[in-house]
Amino acid sequence: MSASPNNAAWTLSWRLFRHEARRGELTVILLAIVLSVAAVLSLSLFSERLQSALTDRTAEFLAADRLLGSDKPVPDEWLDKAREQGLNLAQRVQMRSMVFANDELMLADVRAVDNAYPLKGTIKLADEPFGLGKPVNGLPGAGEVWLDSRLFQVLGIEKGDKVEIGEREFLVSAVISELPDGGFNVFGGDPLVLMPLKDLAATGISGPGSRTDYDYMFSGEDAALDAYYEWLEPKLDRELHYWRSVKDDDSPLGRSVRRAEQYFLLASLLAIVLASVSIAVAAQRYSHRHYDPVAIMKTLGASGAMVRKIYLLQVIFIATLGIVIGSLLGFSAQYVVAELIAEKVPVALDNWHWRPFFIAIFTGVVCAMLFSLYPLMKLFSVPPLRVLRRDLGANVGSRIIQFIAAGSAIFVLMWAYSGDLKISLILLVTGLVLAMALMAVTMGLIWLGRKLGQGRMGAWQLAWARIQRRAMDNSVQLISFAITIMLLLVVLVMRNDMVRQWQEQLPKGTPNYFMINITDQQRPVVESHFSERGLEMDKFYPVVRGRFVAINEETIRTDVTKEDDDSGRRGLGREANLTWSSTLQQENRVVAGNWHGDTQSSDKPYQVSVESKVAERLEIKLGDVLRFNIGSEVVEAEVGSLREVNWQTMQPNFFFVLEPAAMQAFSPTYITSFHLPTEQKAQLGELMSPFSTVTLFDVDARINQLRSIVSQVSLAVEFILVLVLCAGALVLVAQVQSSMDERQQELAILRTLGAKGMMIRMSVIAEFVIIGIVAGGMAAMANELALYLLQSQVFNMQTTVHWQYWLLAPITGALVVGVLGAISCWRLLSLNTSQLLRRMV
Amino acid sequence: MIRTSAITKIVNTTEGELQILQPISFDVNSGESVAIVGASGSGKSTLLGLLAGLDQVTEGEIYLDEEPLHQMDEEARARMRGEKVGFIFQSFMLVQSLTALENVMLPAEISGHPKPRQAALEALQQVGLEHRAHHYPNQLSGGEQQRVAIARAFITRPKILFADEPTGNLDAANGDKIEKLLFELNHQSGTTLVLVTHDTELASRCDRQLHMYAGTLTEDDSVQLNAEQRHVS
Repeated sequence: MSASPNNAAWTLSWRLFRHEARRGELTVILLAIVLSVAAVLSLSLFSERLQSALTDRTAEFLAADRLLGSDKPVPDEWLDKAREQGLNLAQRVQMRSMVFANDELMLADVRAVDNAYPLKGTIKLADEPFGLGKPVNGLPGAGEVWLDSRLFQVLGIEKGDKVEIGEREFLVSAVISELPDGGFNVFGGDPLVLMPLKDLAATGISGPGSRTDYDYMFSGEDAALDAYYEWLEPKLDRELHYWRSVKDDDSPLGRSVRRAEQYFLLASLLAIVLASVSIAVAAQRYSHRHYDPVAIMKTLGASGAMVRKIYLLQVIFIATLGIVIGSLLGFSAQYVVAELIAEKVPVALDNWHWRPFFIAIFTGVVCAMLFSLYPLMKLFSVPPLRVLRRDLGANVGSRIIQFIAAGSAIFVLMWAYSGDLKISLILLVTGLVLAMALMAVTMGLIWLGRKLGQGRMGAWQLAWARIQRRAMDNSVQLISFAITIMLLLVVLVMRNDMVRQWQEQLPKGTPNYFMINITDQQRPVVESHFSERGLEMDKFYPVVRGRFVAINEETIRTDVTKEDDDSGRRGLGREANLTWSSTLQQENRVVAGNWHGDTQSSDKPYQVSVESKVAERLEIKLGDVLRFNIGSEVVEAEVGSLREVNWQTMQPNFFFVLEPAAMQAFSPTYITSFHLPTEQKAQLGELMSPFSTVTLFDVDARINQLRSIVSQVSLAVEFILVLVLCAGALVLVAQVQSSMDERQQELAILRTLGAKGMMIRMSVIAEFVIIGIVAGGMAAMANELALYLLQSQVFNMQTTVHWQYWLLAPITGALVVGVLGAISCWRLLSLNTSQLLRRMV
Repeated sequence: MIRTSAITKIVNTTEGELQILQPISFDVNSGESVAIVGASGSGKSTLLGLLAGLDQVTEGEIYLDEEPLHQMDEEARARMRGEKVGFIFQSFMLVQSLTALENVMLPAEISGHPKPRQAALEALQQVGLEHRAHHYPNQLSGGEQQRVAIARAFITRPKILFADEPTGNLDAANGDKIEKLLFELNHQSGTTLVLVTHDTELASRCDRQLHMYAGTLTEDDSVQLNAEQRHVS
């Protein structure tokens, strides 16, 4: 055995630790650390894997991790540098050009790519136009092109036929079903043509005067990509070049992924806060239980340094054990979850990093140390005289200091971890507001308790009296309950709102096929043909192709390929689809002026409503008179309103909507859409065969892609929600257990004085139920504030008030906290009075 | 062994300063046993705390084994307690999470005893509890817990032993046993004993009795005489 006091501290510390652990006294604090580490580890490990899986998945939409776009070829030096940095590189040259065959011609989106394309994602080809796509490796060979289904339809060609692009003839060797970077734009897009980059020069279509985009695609490690961009950025000319990553993507998909990422971050932050709260609660309990041993040791001659060492070593033992168990648990949990969902979300289990482990261990250490610091300081200050005067406790600072210390520690942890000041501040501020409100409530309870606690001593009076007496002392407990419930609410409601808004973007039955060029005569035939087959058609929108030629008599440029010339006012650059309607379309909102409706007064000019972004781009204002050439006719209309259009909806949207009277003279064609389940795709040929002149747009693959990603993200969010809920529930258990401890003495006295078990039980349950209701109610309010700030400031979502939770939270709080209290109480009351009294010593 | 000179204790309360001890002076000789008796609230426990170096005097001087307790800070007093003082308390004050043996080892380990386990086993043997060495305090009866506390008090062979109502939490039979054990060990080891008690029977076994009344001390000579007579007989 030891002789030096240093060794004595080790020996004593280890012995106390062992005994306490064996007697189950460390279970709560150990569990708190295990939980925090496990939650943080599993969440960050899981979300890191998931994020990389999702980013990979979305990178497919860019066909790369990063893209450098340019109006001119970039210097070779730039590309050499990328190769030097170990990045993969692919090139794509993109322009619009006519494709000729069988005396027909159609404007197409021609993409010439090198052999490395695509860096991410796969190309899908169909056996026949509008057929089901199958993934392929490889690209068109020299002298070959792959074409979009629509080109086959319009040009009346088949695989093996020849088409002309510019000065060169190509063999059509495949039908494109899907390109990873095909884009979501249904109506603005021209049909795609894919050809080898080497053949481009021979076509002559990318010569001077053509509008050509040179895209350079990169993939590789994030760090290398970032380093490359850092090198490249100063060389970029904003007029000529642009840099894109998946995260800049403003598509519904890009936004979904960004939101999901923020959600993961939020969930992990909340897990840290939960962990901190539970450790603070557990440490307080631990410290309180050791006042006597510290007084005894000091009385027996232990120096302050020795006592500090004994307890700091214990914290280290507990933290180490907690971190080890928590890491194992967290790792297994996320492994199991990842395995379970591997089918739906391809998370690569072999692709993991040390970072989440560092974060978890760091969190465990910081939480264990920072949140046990104050209770430990209290413990160290216990005077030896306590052995004679049991009423002497610790004498360190005030609780306010503890709150400030704990609050700043949580904030620093969140900030350090997230690097997001906004989210951290929002959580801190709502936490503070909640804490202050709860302080006010506890004051109110003292007052209320004084009123209600009077009279005969029943279970309720006893409960109120106890709450009143503890209100100040145990406000920490109430606050920690409320914060836990609030954080759980935030995670839950956030998830519900987010998933709901995602799903609203693509409701069931979203049209996945669009038909254009339906003539007046064809319209009734199409309608009956489809309804006979049980298919519902969307609204028919009349369309007339027109050239937008002048604003207020000022002629604008209409040339398709030379719209960047400096002369003249900017035009659309192509023919516009003009429609007319007296009712405003769904998902359209008038932002300026008044919708023209169907009231037509003869003295007023015809009205047109213009999409607000186009109006901004072309500098169109309310009251401007726009001129359109439709065939040989001229139509003039005054801009009566500007509309904001939700382009994310899968419905036809128009830049220009005229009032019906303006267009009476023209015979339109119609656009409509319908939903055909993917598994019925085979019917498509038969369905369309009577209407060879009608052009079909197939967006089924796009919608399915989008939907599958949204559902994967939702699923991931779901799992994270469950993880946080588990962590939160266990923290609640720890809190109830620890607060039960404090009630032990009182229960023993009541029992000794002959109080009936039932009355004690009822009073304890009533006490917990009251605490649960108050904590739940306060949590619901704070939740509203946190959600409002998070949704409006961070997630860019629509904010709503969640009234249902104002009722749900107090009820759930009362139920959960009440049941947990009842369970711990039962455990305690199953001991007989003498056992209880003995445990008090 | 103990020399006190005009010691006072004043504490601050919400209602202002409160003088718990009026100036008190007395000596305790080496090997002597002294009982401090008095009613609840008379200040006897406060006096014990000051003599044992658990608390600091407001004014006056205390020398414990010639060392000036009144000039020492808490660290020095702790060292002093570890080296020279043993304690027995009314509520036993055992560390609940340590076994009987480990509780007894505690002061030995703190003071750097070379063989704490062996010494503790011997001490437990002396109090007849070697068979309960591995039991936790809450598995022992009150009398047994106090015997463990006595073993703990004697393990470091202190020069002076302070006992605060050592039989106060025990029934008569157990109280007698403890009393007997305490005095036996005290005689064997020649330790100076200062005990605080209400129990006149227990007090009468001491060489000398000091009476506390409202913070003042008086010495009862008749009791001292009785004790001497008993020693003679």
